[in-house]
Amino acid sequence: MRVTLEICRFTPERDPGPRFEAFTVSVNGTRTVLDALLSAWQQDPGLSFRRSCRSAICGSCAMLINGRPALACQTLVRNAVSGGNSVTLEPLPHFRPLKDLVVDLEPLFESLKAVVPWLVLRGDYDGRMDPETAAKLEESAACILCGICRGDLGETAKGKPEGVVKALRLAQDPRDALGEHRLRLLELSPEVLKLFVDRLPRHCPKGIKISEDIVQAARKL
Amino acid sequence: MITHEVLVVGGGLAGLMAALAVEDGVDVAVLSKIYPTRSHSGAAQGGFNAVLSQEDSIDAHIFDTVKGSDYLGDQDAIEVLCSDGPSVIRELEKMGVPWTRRADGRIAQRSLGGAGFPRACFVADFSGHVVLHALYEHILKRGVKIYPEWHLLELLVEEGQVAGALAYDLANARLEIFRSKQVVLATGGYGRAFSKTTNAHANTGDGMAVAYRAGAVLSDMEFVQFHPTTLYGTNVLISEAARGEGGHLRNNTGERFMARYAPEKMELAPRDVVARAIFNEIREGRGFEDHSVQLDLTHLGEALVAKRLPQVRDLAIRYAGVDPATVPIPIEPAQHYSMGGVRTDLWGLTTLPGLLAAGETANVSVHGANRLGGNSLLETVVFGRRAGKKAAESARNAPWPALSRETVSRSLEPWTSLLSTPPPASSKQDDLFAVRREMATLMTNQVGVFRTGVELEDAVEKLRQLKERYESISPRGGIQPFNYALMDYLEVGHLLELSTLIARGALARTESRGAHFRVDYPRRDDENWLHHTFVRRKDAEPEFFRGPVAVTRHEPQKRGY
Repeated sequence: MRVTLEICRFTPERDPGPRFEAFTVSVNGTRTVLDALLSAWQQDPGLSFRRSCRSAICGSCAMLINGRPALACQTLVRNAVSGGNSVTLEPLPHFRPLKDLVVDLEPLFESLKAVVPWLVLRGDYDGRMDPETAAKLEESAACILCGICRGDLGETAKGKPEGVVKALRLAQDPRDALGEHRLRLLELSPEVLKLFVDRLPRHCPKGIKISEDIVQAARKL
Repeated sequence: MITHEVLVVGGGLAGLMAALAVEDGVDVAVLSKIYPTRSHSGAAQGGFNAVLSQEDSIDAHIFDTVKGSDYLGDQDAIEVLCSDGPSVIRELEKMGVPWTRRADGRIAQRSLGGAGFPRACFVADFSGHVVLHALYEHILKRGVKIYPEWHLLELLVEEGQVAGALAYDLANARLEIFRSKQVVLATGGYGRAFSKTTNAHANTGDGMAVAYRAGAVLSDMEFVQFHPTTLYGTNVLISEAARGEGGHLRNNTGERFMARYAPEKMELAPRDVVARAIFNEIREGRGFEDHSVQLDLTHLGEALVAKRLPQVRDLAIRYAGVDPATVPIPIEPAQHYSMGGVRTDLWGLTTLPGLLAAGETANVSVHGANRLGGNSLLETVVFGRRAGKKAAESARNAPWPALSRETVSRSLEPWTSLLSTPPPASSKQDDLFAVRREMATLMTNQVGVFRTGVELEDAVEKLRQLKERYESISPRGGIQPFNYALMDYLEVGHLLELSTLIARGALARTESRGAHFRVDYPRRDDENWLHHTFVRRKDAEPEFFRGPVAVTRHEPQKRGY
């Protein structure tokens, strides 16, 4: 099918502000928006956007697709064009735009540091873990640090959403010496946690859900 | 100029493990073309092989790996790989990896191809992702300096000694000299040389090509792994874990055809065997629409598919429109892994002093002619760790290598002029896209699973022509942030260099071994070919020569499954 991509173009040092440029590409509807974008790139190699794995595991191609944050490689063209044949592509909001669809990711990776984002191993861990507990940890370990959840979840007291997701995983890890103290360290109120429970699944490309248990745990603290 | 005693290039599993293995007090940094958590290690699904059970043994793991390698793997290196397995799994566990567990709380293990025992430790079917992020967490803990979205352009070699690297900062379009005592290459494979590949866009063999140009020996480049099960059309990886969990392969008559190719191991024969079987079924008219076979998981039940193969399920639903819990997945083989690479010893040392390599970039050689599933992730952490330790030890004991002004300016000069030249008319870039496309199609069609002398000769000649065309293209230079066109130009240059080595190595090797199958020489020939293919650059041309294979415990024998 023929699709028109309305792509945000912006070179901060040169342009007064962002503008849209239309690219018409031929692409099978079952291919992804990233495939369409790669075709547009062949028309203008000066177009900048990040990409790598093309299978929704690296998180590089997060952007606004028709105003909604998503991974370009995870969005099929036929779904993106519903109701017409054009798709608008813009950089993720809440990050500084650097060039076209590329944003400054330093704050994202920097923000992780605020939450002690590594396991602090308990001295008495004996090498065993109950399989259900391990399965629970798997779910939030799926986070690909794409930055998509930022728009909806904004900031909490001590961390940005991706940091909070990591901290919540560690808080539930029976090997972690900090454990639930992490909730206190982050100054996460049950209300803020409830926000994560409710809103994270809306946009998270990995379908990460924060369990109600953690809200209960926070209430107890 | 930026100085770090140890410079690790590549932010995937091998690179991060190398950086973490550098002892305190030695200054280490990681330079990576993408953010480390975006590395393709994260796409690895199946697991890490390691012997954890009393019923299994290191010897058995060694034997499976040697046999899987079709006796081309170096047995001293394989011994290190398998012996270090249990300790790295425990180390990763302490770093926070939530390994999937057995009912009794111990680490669960699954079967992968070519293994005599279920010995792959895993986290559902996104094992690489979880371990990559755990290592990254510890990189943050250690405060290791990261240079994300920086491209390695060249190694700086002074009187035969690597003294640093020239790199390009993509965000700011600027060049920088890195002065180092030791450089560790961990830049992954060259999958994008092939049009059908499971590999990410970033996998363009940069470290291998740069090392080769600097004079390092590469080895066994003709051995390219084709993964049997990738989604038909997009070639997105469908993990071997799907067969490890009990999935079946079927042709268009519904037959589990592996019974005719590997009656004992069936779907869990090594990848080279399964990939050839699938191609053969398709070639003989038993494929679906002459292009695919089916991976059938429907008998496993939805619960198991959801629990053990969530990513496989998600990928199949999204990219192929089928839910594998109820409908078989259309699959085809595609390029997946580079067995060959920069030749190293057991500690990652290459033939260039001051340069080390680990992971898929390197050829140590634990995979020989064919890699077993679950052994590459293991290799990244085992040999990444060893390379990091070695680099740190050398850096601590050695003075700074000389780096003359002449070497620096000689290496800077062409790049500086490139960046000061504004971009050319866009028509030339079209030719770059065409060169890349033609190269990748050629590699898939003529340097793929089944090879013949005639096609390989033709491929070598066509690659020569493509290189000529490439050299006539002016890259899109100038000072522009995030100039992916320039990246594309560099990457195509690397891929063409490596493709030529792969095709020439394949043409020279007149036998069939592991993943290298010559239709015109269908048998393994130990008398003439039980040796590595070494290649180095001499007067701008590749010079091929033989390297010995370390055979310690297991004499070559017939390889059947």
